[in-house]
Amino acid sequence: MKKYLFATVALVAFGAALAATPKDTYVYMQNAVFDSLDPVQAYDGASIGVIENIYETLYSFKRDVPGEYEPTLATSYEVKDGGLTYIYHLRKGVKFHSGNPMTCRDVEYSIERILVTMPGDSGAWFYGDALTGYGNDALTEAKKALGENASQEEIDKFLDAYWEKIDNSVVCDDLYTVRFNLAGPDVAFFAKMLFTAAGVVDSKWAIEHGAWSGTKDDWKDWIGVDLRTGYLHNHASGTGPYQLVKWDGKNIVAKAFDGYWGEKPAIKNVLVQAVEEEATRLEALRRGDADRVDVNDWATVNAKVKQMDGVKVWSDPDWSPAGAHVVFFNFNVQGENNPYIGSGKLDGNGIPRDFFSDLNVRKAFAYSLDQDAIFNDIYEGNAAWYTMALPPTWPGYDPDIPIRKLDLDKAEEYFKKAWDGQVWEKGFRLTITYNAGNTVRQAVAEMIKANVESINPKFKIDVVPLQWSDYLKAARAKSLPIWPLGWGADYADPDNFIHPFYHSEGSLAKRQNFKDPEFDKLIDYARTLVRPDQQEERYAIYKKIGRMAYDVLPNVPYPRQSPFIVTRDNLEGVYYNSMISGAFYWKDISKK
Amino acid sequence: MTTFIARGLLQLPVVLLALSLLIFGMMQFLTPEQRAATYVRTEQQAKNIDLIIRQYNLDKGFWAQYTTWLNQVLHGNLGYSKQSHEPVLTTIRKRLPVWTELAIFMFFPTLAFGIWMGTLAATHRDKLIDQFVRVFAIAGWSLPTFVLGIWLLAVLYGYFHCCGIGRADDKYLIEFAKGTLKTYTGMITIDGLLNGRPNVTFSGLKHLVMPVLTYMVVASAQIMRVLRSSMLDVLNSDYVRTARAKGLPERVVNLKHARHNAIIPIVTIAGLMFTFMLEGVFFIEIIFNIPGLGQWAVPAAIQLDFPAVIGIALLTGVIVSIANLVVDILYGIIDPRISFQ
Repeated sequence: MKKYLFATVALVAFGAALAATPKDTYVYMQNAVFDSLDPVQAYDGASIGVIENIYETLYSFKRDVPGEYEPTLATSYEVKDGGLTYIYHLRKGVKFHSGNPMTCRDVEYSIERILVTMPGDSGAWFYGDALTGYGNDALTEAKKALGENASQEEIDKFLDAYWEKIDNSVVCDDLYTVRFNLAGPDVAFFAKMLFTAAGVVDSKWAIEHGAWSGTKDDWKDWIGVDLRTGYLHNHASGTGPYQLVKWDGKNIVAKAFDGYWGEKPAIKNVLVQAVEEEATRLEALRRGDADRVDVNDWATVNAKVKQMDGVKVWSDPDWSPAGAHVVFFNFNVQGENNPYIGSGKLDGNGIPRDFFSDLNVRKAFAYSLDQDAIFNDIYEGNAAWYTMALPPTWPGYDPDIPIRKLDLDKAEEYFKKAWDGQVWEKGFRLTITYNAGNTVRQAVAEMIKANVESINPKFKIDVVPLQWSDYLKAARAKSLPIWPLGWGADYADPDNFIHPFYHSEGSLAKRQNFKDPEFDKLIDYARTLVRPDQQEERYAIYKKIGRMAYDVLPNVPYPRQSPFIVTRDNLEGVYYNSMISGAFYWKDISKK
Repeated sequence: MTTFIARGLLQLPVVLLALSLLIFGMMQFLTPEQRAATYVRTEQQAKNIDLIIRQYNLDKGFWAQYTTWLNQVLHGNLGYSKQSHEPVLTTIRKRLPVWTELAIFMFFPTLAFGIWMGTLAATHRDKLIDQFVRVFAIAGWSLPTFVLGIWLLAVLYGYFHCCGIGRADDKYLIEFAKGTLKTYTGMITIDGLLNGRPNVTFSGLKHLVMPVLTYMVVASAQIMRVLRSSMLDVLNSDYVRTARAKGLPERVVNLKHARHNAIIPIVTIAGLMFTFMLEGVFFIEIIFNIPGLGQWAVPAAIQLDFPAVIGIALLTGVIVSIANLVVDILYGIIDPRISFQ
């Protein structure tokens, strides 16, 4: 017995040396698994968080200054022809991880590869929109344009025309000058070129390893292909400060690239691990086996992480994620036998379809939402206020617009004015929906219900959870009268928020049948301001739209949880940029 | 003996064939489109699903479908796993060594510990040690793996700074990725030695302590209890009394005469235990972050990743068959009355 006891004790003891990761190694344990390392295919935070350190774009985000960019693979750019032509002058002497030099050919190949493949579940659509005018891959577009019964000849003709557009959209004027010919003016084109999908791929290396040849010969084989089956899915050759060593399906190992054109990073080795179990991540952090870990929410941070020795929680009230949450009002609810509007009449048992078209109703609801409670109770004070549907750190955001806080007296006043007093007299019944499992949206819905019902006993609100897919479907069918929903940025331009939220053709405003010519005019005009020197004017317009939105109230923005980063306290150089998936670039950090 | 093993191995294909028939039979409950998903790798192919259905005879009768499918499997095409974004066979090749290493290191210590404690309990019947073993067995048996795992994680790893999570220290994982440490078998402990770097093996062992301990506490209970009761039976039998009467030392009587016979049911249980480890270690793999088969197979099953599920089923078949063969051989070695004929 003693012998075994000794063996057990020895077994336990031999692991007892205090472990910490080496000084030149950065270990990050995250909660999500990687989807793909092909820059065109990747559309999830985990994958992009790696790709952004391996591949580089022509310009990139400037550390922690949102809305500012710095030249990366390009040294300068010009906008010509009223925004139809973008010319980038490329940096010379840049090498890929394979040793090949980077030239315009690689930029051309990389962007055209997006336009050729256009994987449906990637961010390719917004490059298509800008450069070819098509948001889908060539075959899907052919089917859409020609119908199901088109002859092969017709399809081939369509594909040839599509290829012409691809071929003409990116042109090399010389080895170090690339010209983009846009399908139409696109104010967000510069921002789109900052996304990792536009990362410059080593074309020579890619072609050698069986990727698209870069020519018309085999482009048809690559239309709409799922790039997760390709060589670039788990191999990489970019120009970034780090080169991929290996992705074994679970862990990713990268090392500093010796031939990097820029400043040499302090961290030489990076290990990113997908660790699903939060308790495991937290213990690894406590122990020092991980330099940074993902923590799911502030509650865990406050309850468990803050007490740990040697751990630092980075947060700042000024940080905000690249998204916005609002409560939408539907100006004209659609759908036969719509269960969410009761009788469909203003008879105390339902609402008319255009119930929310009365500004008084919208204001009354806005004053019934307890924004302080969301900020203080739901997020425990770790949140950011939103005055408009745009991330507060982004250009064009106006922090001085007032926020309607809970005020039941004002709500009562507006309910009494609404529909010439009929709302107050007859009462109403409607349903607020939210996606099941989203506790914040549930709380928002319950809060509105409790407050509105307390004003007048004739007001009845039902709160109903829907499955995510049903929820989106109902919203798209314009059948929801009032619903809370969020929007995350696709690319780093305020137009990606202003247009969907406030333009009558915007993907979100469309669902609420919101149409205001004043808004449309301004947003359309802002889209023509493509020159770099016009950007201040454009951002001023967005601020104006924010103020108009306060008066017209198509939706009510509400606070969002503010971001945080959890690391060991010897990690330095950490910052938060909402458009960088990993919050910061690996090259900017070091260890004490 | 050799013929026995040969016969056992020959049975293997028969078992697998039967298993494949069973699985394939069950797949008939799915629509042809769902079955075709096995061969679909890309969205592009998904659009041409009718073509795939025709190509693999999925709209034909059972036998036509089965032979087509079997032909693919025999050519090494087990289909494409959506969960791992690669062919099923590739994923199995990557994850099987990880699982094997974990399984071997969990299995033998657990077995040894269970047998040891069971023997002690039986030979010290109703003494303190017996009471302890009985309580330990019940406690261990009723303790869920994930509870014990998290607890060990917090205490051993978090508080006492011992052992480790994952498969080895970060620096060795990086070295393996970079190729300065070569991957021969995919098992860290063995590869460490083959690279002439015992400290890597040591690191691998260190990282196995918590998973092994977790499994040992939970799984050894059954062995202890079975061994204790079968040992008690044997200790009361005539031949043990005879052995004692001959004046043999207590130790020889207990370990050689009594335990030798009492161990046969343990062999049966151990065989089952080993095969259950395929999916049974899922929680251990999750908690201690070990990329074994469970971490892939369980989410794959939840997401209806049929090719992965079928691949795992066939792999399970192979492992069960081999485990059975080993159990049969062990029966014969332990008890000469069981003949190999």
